[in-house]
Amino acid sequence: MTQIKLEIDGKTVEAVEGASLLDVARQAGADIPTLCQNAELNEKGSCRLCMVEVVKGKKRSLVASCAYPAQDGLVVKTSTPEIEKHRKLLVELLYPTALHLAKRYGIKESRFDGPRGDCNLCGLCVNYCRDVAHKNVLFFEGRGVDRKVSFVPGKAHECSSCGACFELCSGGFVVNNHGTLGLTEHAYSGR
Amino acid sequence: MPSQQTLAQTEVDVVVVDDEETIREGCRMALEGEGLRIETAANGALGLELLARVRPRVALLDLRMPGVAGIDVLKRLPEIDPRIVPIVITGYASVESAVDSMKLGAFEFLTKPFETTQLLDTVHRGIHHWGTYAPAQSALAPRRAKQAQILKSQEDALLKSLEAAEEYAELGGTPTALADELRTLEMQADYHTRQLGVVQKKGKALHDFVADLHAVDAIVARHLSKRSALIQILLDIQSQKNWLPSHMLMWTSRRLGVPMGRILEVATFYEAFSLIPQGRHQVQICTGTACHVRRAPELLVTISSLLGIKPGQTDSDLNFTFKQVHCLGCCALAPVVKVDSAYYGNPSMKELKEIFARCTKDAQAEGEN
Amino acid sequence: MPRLENPKALVALQVKAREQRAALPQRISVCGGTGCVAAKASGCIEALNAAIARHDLSSKVEVQVTGCHGLCERGPIVVIAPQQYCYLGVAAADANEIIEQSIIEGRPLDRLMYQVEKKPVTSQDKIPFFRGQQRLLLEANTRIDPRNIEDYLAIGGYTALEHALFEMRPEEIIASVKESGLRGRGGGGFPTGRKWETTRNAPGDTKYVIVNADEGDPGAYMDRSLLEGNPHSILEGLIIGGYAIGANVGYIYVRQEYPLAVENTLLAIGQAREQGLLGKDILGSGFSFDVEVHRGAGAFVSGESSALIAAIEGHVGQPREKYVHTSVSGLWDRPTNLNNVETWANIPHIINKGAKWFASIGTKTSSGTKVFSLVGKVRNSGLVEVPMGTSLRTIVYDIGGGIPGDKRLKAIQTGGPSGGFLPESMLDVSVDFDELVKAGSMMGSGGMIVMDEDNCMVDAARFYVDFLAHESCGKCLPCREGLRQLLHILNRIVAGEGREGDLELMDELCDTVAVSSLCALGKSAPNPVRSALTHFRSEFEAHIREKRCPSLACVSLFHYEIDGKRCNGCSLCQKNCPPNAIHGEHKKPKTIDQESCIKCGACETVCPPKLNAVSKVAGRAEPEDSPLLRQKTG
Repeated sequence: MTQIKLEIDGKTVEAVEGASLLDVARQAGADIPTLCQNAELNEKGSCRLCMVEVVKGKKRSLVASCAYPAQDGLVVKTSTPEIEKHRKLLVELLYPTALHLAKRYGIKESRFDGPRGDCNLCGLCVNYCRDVAHKNVLFFEGRGVDRKVSFVPGKAHECSSCGACFELCSGGFVVNNHGTLGLTEHAYSGR
Repeated sequence: MPSQQTLAQTEVDVVVVDDEETIREGCRMALEGEGLRIETAANGALGLELLARVRPRVALLDLRMPGVAGIDVLKRLPEIDPRIVPIVITGYASVESAVDSMKLGAFEFLTKPFETTQLLDTVHRGIHHWGTYAPAQSALAPRRAKQAQILKSQEDALLKSLEAAEEYAELGGTPTALADELRTLEMQADYHTRQLGVVQKKGKALHDFVADLHAVDAIVARHLSKRSALIQILLDIQSQKNWLPSHMLMWTSRRLGVPMGRILEVATFYEAFSLIPQGRHQVQICTGTACHVRRAPELLVTISSLLGIKPGQTDSDLNFTFKQVHCLGCCALAPVVKVDSAYYGNPSMKELKEIFARCTKDAQAEGEN
Repeated sequence: MPRLENPKALVALQVKAREQRAALPQRISVCGGTGCVAAKASGCIEALNAAIARHDLSSKVEVQVTGCHGLCERGPIVVIAPQQYCYLGVAAADANEIIEQSIIEGRPLDRLMYQVEKKPVTSQDKIPFFRGQQRLLLEANTRIDPRNIEDYLAIGGYTALEHALFEMRPEEIIASVKESGLRGRGGGGFPTGRKWETTRNAPGDTKYVIVNADEGDPGAYMDRSLLEGNPHSILEGLIIGGYAIGANVGYIYVRQEYPLAVENTLLAIGQAREQGLLGKDILGSGFSFDVEVHRGAGAFVSGESSALIAAIEGHVGQPREKYVHTSVSGLWDRPTNLNNVETWANIPHIINKGAKWFASIGTKTSSGTKVFSLVGKVRNSGLVEVPMGTSLRTIVYDIGGGIPGDKRLKAIQTGGPSGGFLPESMLDVSVDFDELVKAGSMMGSGGMIVMDEDNCMVDAARFYVDFLAHESCGKCLPCREGLRQLLHILNRIVAGEGREGDLELMDELCDTVAVSSLCALGKSAPNPVRSALTHFRSEFEAHIREKRCPSLACVSLFHYEIDGKRCNGCSLCQKNCPPNAIHGEHKKPKTIDQESCIKCGACETVCPPKLNAVSKVAGRAEPEDSPLLRQKTG
């Protein structure tokens, strides 16, 4: 466990080498938006909202901080006009899900064709079901723009005794092929 | 009974518990080279904790270790997971410890120093054993011989079933669990024949169903029951059956110890797999860039019009499945159409009509038989 | 076949194989690549063998089925050695004449040869298509049967392996590869020697080497031909790489759409194992290495190195972050070196002839040759191998023979779905990693697609976005949703429903997708769109503002019409219309029922050229009772 030093938003910060840059930055007080991130899950890097600017030696790049290992000597900026421009567009692509983020960026409508439905494919439910609940009832079916969240045929009944993913859903509720499964308090109004 | 509960959630194939680092690392290198996932522990106590956490398919246990010895770990294994196949390692080839270990359920015995080939062979057999639920007790052998007798009546079949139920019980199952499983499998056999649009006698449907499950076993064995070979296994099933019937996926899931969710994720991610029955003849049109530039879109609507189906569809007689493929690698012949294993470059409408008529004639002849 | 226990045994076998082949005065090579097989090469092979038997010539000549020769447009290809008579478009019916005239009488058969200004070109290397090339890698394809290891040995195969194992140390091999300047041929163009070095130096004793034969770029089939035609050359390169890097296990990942390549590779591996060129203690060197073939299951994204690794592990082909390189942590978290087929194929040549020799070919920053699949609107479509630094003009015109039908060149697309379009004004750009990037495209794996005036660039951009939207793994938001929206917009534009502001919105999407996507597929996805907008913006504007497709290619923006004054009622079009949408009595002028018309173009194709009665007309079809329509049909 090597201790290292890096710079985050102008401040020098100490951290453990290899720790998630997102965690290190947040501990240092940075306010980085995320959607698909959850401390219990193995999977990360799907929403890209956590992107930050990293300068390593002479190279400058935008990286997903949740998946980037902290290293000695990095110079990190968690927010720049360029980063905010990209984050705003991503939130617009998510609209009308993730309304808490839409509020943060002042987005009240989307210029894009839609609506695609209630699921923004963030993967929180699928990953939780697989890695934490160990139930493997939910899975990602298909690929690319045809991707959707599905239930393993014959296993959906296991959800009634579990329901752990309902709270996690960033869209408001978990949806399956056949209709709505359950509504949480986070479901948004005005649809 | 493990088959009713959730399967081992882990990806770890083998756990090695040995206080000698050279043995641990030697086994790791040899087994990882085979594509197996390994974890190790340096003593019995850590070994127990590790086994409970990762629940591998095979456990390599050093018999004599300071503290919690291998034989103690072996005794505790059935509580942790009765399916884990134990292989015992020892530097002392004493008859006593060998007999003790086998009595406690050890699958095999490795004497130090052992060759890599011995290790690999034994571990592979252990993995295969995990997958086939083969009873370790030799006491069942005489009963097997009895079952070879020809069945003369329903009473004979009932007796045979009772004997099978007895076997199932000795492996840790219960009669109710057995009845439930059989009912589920029977329903799946029914569903399968309905999906094929076939009317079959109950006995034949079950026979085909069981033959399919055996086919899965053969394929899985060919790939040494490796979880990393999942895609290769599914490719083999797809090429044999022309699609991936759900009962064969279910059986693959059980034999490999891979959750159904992961199998479906893989089956729906890749183009090669179909979860619904396909037509007897595969018509593939290449829609790669070279073909696109040379009027593949026009050829596509032509074929659609002739066959009456859109790309991705199968006709109701199960004659043709029409698919778009991204690049068959015959770009100089563009636009390319592949019907079964034959390639056609820029076929005219006349040629296409002839090809499809030939296929339909084959199908009719088949149907008449 | 007995195992080769040491280098001497290898040399002895090479000599024996060479002498056996020299003993036959003549040889007939028939291309057995997938393209020629599709053109019925197997019939030719059977007929030639039958003719040889009939004339009792089996002691004087044999038929050798080889790998892809490259001139795929003109297959099946038959070459008679030693004269190098090259026959194109050969049919089974020609077999007897070939035997009688070229084998028995030893004369060329002019009518089957390539013609330049009506004169036959007698030998293969003089045909313009081949003459303009430097076929370092492809040349062997014409001389070996990929299913017979002894053919490879006869031309000196596995000499490089022997040299590497016995006369070079791993560090020396890596230094040599670095000095050669070899850069990855899969598209990334990363310096190969450096990648090998990083993998070798990464901590850990277990390492892996992988051949990426996923070749997903549509329109590219170089790797297929190399692997199908000369699998041993790739094996040899891989074993040398394993030795240099410190890996004892290799994987060859082949896409399942290439069954012949899978078959030939498995055969080659079996034969190499039998001879002891794979397995334990190769040639008595103490180095052990073996290889496994892993079939792909149909996903373009699994050609991305981290996705490929995930597939070998048995998971969905989803890429991972590359913040820690696969050279350090790859397959099962071990240091892994992945290279493209063509990259591996170059290795034996570098070992045999030296790094300096290799570096002298091509340009300063891009050494060696590159194999391109020259396809699309080009006369001599096929596989072309040229030294880096050759101009596009040379490739398309001198080697490729130019655009058929004397149409005008519109664009050359390179780099596949990650690349860009190069307009006519850029014909003198040379094929070089950096030059192509400067020109707004990239080398990619080698697909080179020629487009002419009849191809619409808005449609081309839409094609690539559609491809990527469905081939994307779907994990990350910018790629999946960004491409989804780009596709929506482009679909509207080609359907005549484009809006002001669409191009600006596409720019915004492209920016974010390029920067925030997880992997190279997403990051490079905007390239075709951006490139098309840069060079062909006016076509986009015509589609949006005038609802017009200048190339008359977008189906919603044109329709077919039959000129009643030119039509003589021959009914050819009617007979060839799949949905039976052409009406008109026998010998009377025909009309097209626009509602049923599927725009397949068959009517235009079959209408006799001297009548030329069918044409594309811009805009949607006029309604039935329009005076304009009545006027046209008389």
